[in-house]
Amino acid sequence: MFFLKTMIVQPMPTITDLVNNGAIVKIDVELAPHDQPLRLLYGTPQFIAWLQEILDGAGPARLLGQPSPAEQIDDLFHSFLSGEHLVFTRQFRAVRAEENAVWELKTPDVRIFGWFMAKDCFVAVFGNWTDIIKDHDLYRGYRIAIRRLRRELDIDATLCVRGVAPDDVLSV
Amino acid sequence: MTFFRFDIGARSRTAGRLMGRVRRELLRAVTEEKQAGLTQQELARRLQSGRSNVNRQLSGEAEITLRSLADLAWALDREITFELRRPDQAAGQNIAPQTSTIGHKPIRIIAPKSPEE
Repeated sequence: MFFLKTMIVQPMPTITDLVNNGAIVKIDVELAPHDQPLRLLYGTPQFIAWLQEILDGAGPARLLGQPSPAEQIDDLFHSFLSGEHLVFTRQFRAVRAEENAVWELKTPDVRIFGWFMAKDCFVAVFGNWTDIIKDHDLYRGYRIAIRRLRRELDIDATLCVRGVAPDDVLSV
Repeated sequence: MTFFRFDIGARSRTAGRLMGRVRRELLRAVTEEKQAGLTQQELARRLQSGRSNVNRQLSGEAEITLRSLADLAWALDREITFELRRPDQAAGQNIAPQTSTIGHKPIRIIAPKSPEE
């Protein structure tokens, strides 16, 4: 007697699947007339909620930079999306040199953690104030949480840049 | 929700992007000079300033006045160009939400069909 076992192979989620099922949300900012959107930026719903808090006026206890946190984030998103050259380690860096690294985008007062699904395509997961992250050393916790999220979304092998060099993740 | 626009208003946008651009230009020049052998210590020495003060200016944690911007440009051997002009008004210019070419969905034809078609 033969038993025919059928294995149902679930296709790996695509970026479109992640957007359609609400796992990530596309983010943009107003671009100048001469700008072209050259990169892609997404955020988890939790990150979008944090952005909304910033728009509603949230800020750190002590502001380090001259622009407001919202202005710093707008400028960071604008330079990222319009394909400007970002300065490695000053404006972005891998939190730890490892395969499937977690990356950090930086402004004076804000740190944003996430990963690159593909070159020039970043997903933001956590945002927080620079001084809080440094005071409480939140790097490890964010790194572990982001790695767990990727595993839960089943995209660790498919939608994650493996290198940790600047030109592995940004083309301009 | 599949789309979120981070909109802070034109006035804040203008201020934040100007300050951000100045800082990025300085960081870029410092990075270039660093590759040519200039240390932050030497940069501070040229400016007769403390290294931590220069570092705070570059990291965006200290205010950069027009005077200190000019001093940094001088110490980095860079010219400053500055211009105020009216916004671009050119035919075919990008209006991001309408003309993005990197949407994740298939291309949608939005132009009306001509009567001949």
